[in-house]
Amino acid sequence: MKRILAFSVLAATIVASCATTGNNTSSASPSGSGTATGQHPKIGLVTDVGGLNDKSFNSLADKGRQQAQAQLDVDTSVTESKQQADYVPNLTKYAQDKYDLVIGVGFLMQNAIWKVATQFPNVKFAIIDGAPNDDAGNVKNLPNVANLFFKEQEAGYVVGVIAATMAKNKVGAATHNTVCSMGGLPIPPVDRYIAGYQDAVKTVSPTTKILNGYSQDFVDQQKGIEVGKSHIAQGCDILFQVAGGSGLGYIQAAKDAKVYAIGVDADQAAVAPGTVITSALKKVDVAVFQTVRSLRLGTFKAGDNSFNATNDGIGFGTLDKIVPDDAKAAATQALADIKSGKITPKDTVQVKP
Amino acid sequence: MRQLTFQWAGGPAIPILSVAIALLLGAVFVLLSGNDPVKGYLALFQGAFGTPYDITETIVAAIPLVLTGLAVAVAFRTGLFNIGAQGQLLVGALAAGWAGSQWATLPGFILMPIVIVFGTAGGALYGGIVGLLKAVRGVNEVITTIMLNYTIVFVMHWLLQAGPMTAQNAFGTPASTPIGAGARLPVIIPNELVLFSRLHAGIVLAALAVIAFWFLLWRTPLGYRLRAVGLGARAAAQAGIDPARHMIMVMAIAGGFAGLGGMIEVSGVFGRVYDGFSSSYGFDAIAVALLGKNSPLGIVVAALLFGAFVHGGAYMQSHAGISSNLVAIIQAFVLFVIAAESLVRSLTRRRGRARKPVEAIA
Amino acid sequence: MTLEMLIGASVAAATLRLAAPIALAALGGVVTERSGVTNIALEASMLVGAFFGIVAADRSHNIWIALGVAILAGALIALLHAYASITLRSDQIVSGMALNILALGLTTYLDYEMYGTTGTPPDLVGLPDVQLGFLSGVPYVGGAIGSQNSMVWVMALLVVGLQIFLFRTVAGLRLRAVGEHPRAAETVGIDVRRIRYAAVLASGALAALGGAYLSLGVAHSFTDGMTGGRGFIGLAAMIFGRWTPVGALAASLIFGYGNALSTSLQGATIGDTKVPVQLLGTLPYLLTILAVAGFVGRSRPPAADGVPYETEGHA
Repeated sequence: MKRILAFSVLAATIVASCATTGNNTSSASPSGSGTATGQHPKIGLVTDVGGLNDKSFNSLADKGRQQAQAQLDVDTSVTESKQQADYVPNLTKYAQDKYDLVIGVGFLMQNAIWKVATQFPNVKFAIIDGAPNDDAGNVKNLPNVANLFFKEQEAGYVVGVIAATMAKNKVGAATHNTVCSMGGLPIPPVDRYIAGYQDAVKTVSPTTKILNGYSQDFVDQQKGIEVGKSHIAQGCDILFQVAGGSGLGYIQAAKDAKVYAIGVDADQAAVAPGTVITSALKKVDVAVFQTVRSLRLGTFKAGDNSFNATNDGIGFGTLDKIVPDDAKAAATQALADIKSGKITPKDTVQVKP
Repeated sequence: MRQLTFQWAGGPAIPILSVAIALLLGAVFVLLSGNDPVKGYLALFQGAFGTPYDITETIVAAIPLVLTGLAVAVAFRTGLFNIGAQGQLLVGALAAGWAGSQWATLPGFILMPIVIVFGTAGGALYGGIVGLLKAVRGVNEVITTIMLNYTIVFVMHWLLQAGPMTAQNAFGTPASTPIGAGARLPVIIPNELVLFSRLHAGIVLAALAVIAFWFLLWRTPLGYRLRAVGLGARAAAQAGIDPARHMIMVMAIAGGFAGLGGMIEVSGVFGRVYDGFSSSYGFDAIAVALLGKNSPLGIVVAALLFGAFVHGGAYMQSHAGISSNLVAIIQAFVLFVIAAESLVRSLTRRRGRARKPVEAIA
Repeated sequence: MTLEMLIGASVAAATLRLAAPIALAALGGVVTERSGVTNIALEASMLVGAFFGIVAADRSHNIWIALGVAILAGALIALLHAYASITLRSDQIVSGMALNILALGLTTYLDYEMYGTTGTPPDLVGLPDVQLGFLSGVPYVGGAIGSQNSMVWVMALLVVGLQIFLFRTVAGLRLRAVGEHPRAAETVGIDVRRIRYAAVLASGALAALGGAYLSLGVAHSFTDGMTGGRGFIGLAAMIFGRWTPVGALAASLIFGYGNALSTSLQGATIGDTKVPVQLLGTLPYLLTILAVAGFVGRSRPPAADGVPYETEGHA
């Protein structure tokens, strides 16, 4: 019986696939809604190898996609990339299937976007955290690609102001006048956050000691905890993580020691209430949503699109009740000063491990 | 010792049936997850083989698995368990990427052989260390290959993030300087035939490697001796073969295959070395080698099956809404059912006398 | 570079914390391979232990139930492996690889379905730390072991217990006999299959304890693929430790020490040059290779390790 079933499944698969190879261009419209393009634009999202559950920019981008699906009358679909060699085919499949906008998530896709977008000039593309890079590694802006950038250093700066203010005034458990940060690896998108954070601390409270470390991993929680324990042993009582899943361990170390942590990318207040005092927000969901909306409104803009303090593309998350009003006021003021151009946060790390 | 050399008996019927049963088990799982398995498998198959473009992409995904599969298999044939194809591939990629950018301006007919040699030699060297430590100090290859896999990951982080190979490029993608045009493996399918195909000349190198694997093991005295070592070190020693020397050689050969795989990815797909570009080629290779029963043709078929899962799986997610993790689960079922070969075999025979083990214990 | 960075009490404490999950996986490896079954699915047992432990903690709010479910999940994976390798006499490496892929796919899938991108809930019940107040005054020792997770102590007890079991009891002797010479064992009336099944199940349970330590004891949450290859490192530690519990612990400690150094040495300088933080990550692996090559050398697996056994009566 089993055998017959197995063969019939195989046979059905083969027959059906033969039937569809002939008309490959219009095959398989997603989720049953086969309306003509133009009325229902089709949006495809391709994650990088971090996958949908990275609790960072991939999951935020997908959140933006789902919001767009719900509110903007578009059909959307998502593909997770399992390895870096998949970026080109995953982007290509959407373009071949005549999607209107294909969004690639992450700077690792800069060359893949360039490759595919030059082959499909009539399809619009967007890339989070990057710009098209040609095979020689040079930025080559394309008329059909929107580059969505974030000023992570601005988000780092604002939460740095909160940390510095609390450290300076010895608020709650923050008694050692020492603040710390931990990145996953010392790569630019991580280090821009840390650079802004350190810049703020040095500006607001020059006497505050700053430490910085790396877990050398974006997944392993235990490694994040070990760096956290080591930092706390050196007096840190405010810990800013920029290390994805490994960073959750850094937050846990703060929770275990009953000191404070600052989340990153998404609002991580719920990860450890009472420990996470705020989060440095990078609103990838907003960027994705707005890019889809611009496509709907016909205002799609190729080339650089910066998401920063001015257009609310970065910011700080839920403040814990321990955060005093003056720290909140200072952060709000810093945000305003960044908007007005009075402050330009540094984007290179000053205190290395 | 472990039986590493058994062949598929009775032709391809058993593996095909195994895959079918695995798909059926997977279908149950897809159904439980609230999705439509028929729609899912259609998308999987269509994604992998639906258009000429997809077929070429499935092959592109299979090529590195063929090379790493050979790397695992050649060691298995000699009685060694090479978990280190992953690290060997990365070293090969780094060596090839370094050579390809160092002499970027050289013409292809000079640079291409250089890059091939560097990639292969890099992998061979990294594999050779394992053989050397085993031969000289008796260090079990499982330990060294696992440790060296991780070691190179961190060395690679350094080389490509803040080390001597790091490219000065926009927004700091951790990657090496791009290799010269002469080091790029050309796409072999013209756009007129299959639009946008990435199928590159690496397929030729892979085919040559498969032939070399077959020729080496079954048509040379060295291959005979290697297989003799695999069947038992004592027997080999009695036949006057020095197992230690052969361990170094076989691990270097294994590493060479994997290193060539790394070179092919750099030269054929990426054009530079990206940090962490290989997430699992080396680990999937173990499955590929065993699925293919360590035979040349079997490895090619198994690699294509895995390539189809990789490329078709993406389509299954985007067009049938089935999580890519379910694809991994189905893949695991395929492997498991194939491992449980005797179960499948018993299904193909009449009940009763079907319980005799088919493979001889080596 | 200071001495404190190299051998301080905090480094010793970190070494223990980092060695514990690896040692637990390695203990599992020792038990199963001593009985003659290779089980490379320890990673899979760890991962499902980590995940289902958290799920049970979330649902039951009871640490004993959570721990029990974790062990059960790990043993279940091992049961599949036992069925494939003992009853069906399958290739043990293929079966193990399949289960590793299965566990990663399954836990990642369920994690996303159940907890989405917000992650597992905060304030779950966890494995408590053991505070040894009386040691707090003792220099070094207090800092090193005065405040360790309960699972670290469980691990230590298991090492001693299993060492005694394997080499000082009749049951342990039987288990080793099955791994060395199953035919001879059977002729003296030992049920080879039953012992192998028990050993494989125990290996899954032990590895699952390692996974539960990571999720319930350390992180208090689950993230995809959080075991990060510790099951494989555990296999290496088992071989390094010559298939003995005490040896496996020693190997795990060396590895854990390297791992602890890669944190404590951040920012250290050699002469005037700063060691690149990325290269510090290689320490545990290189240290292990050096230790094995330098001090251990040749190690011999149980003679029947990995060889399926055909019972006389069934042929």
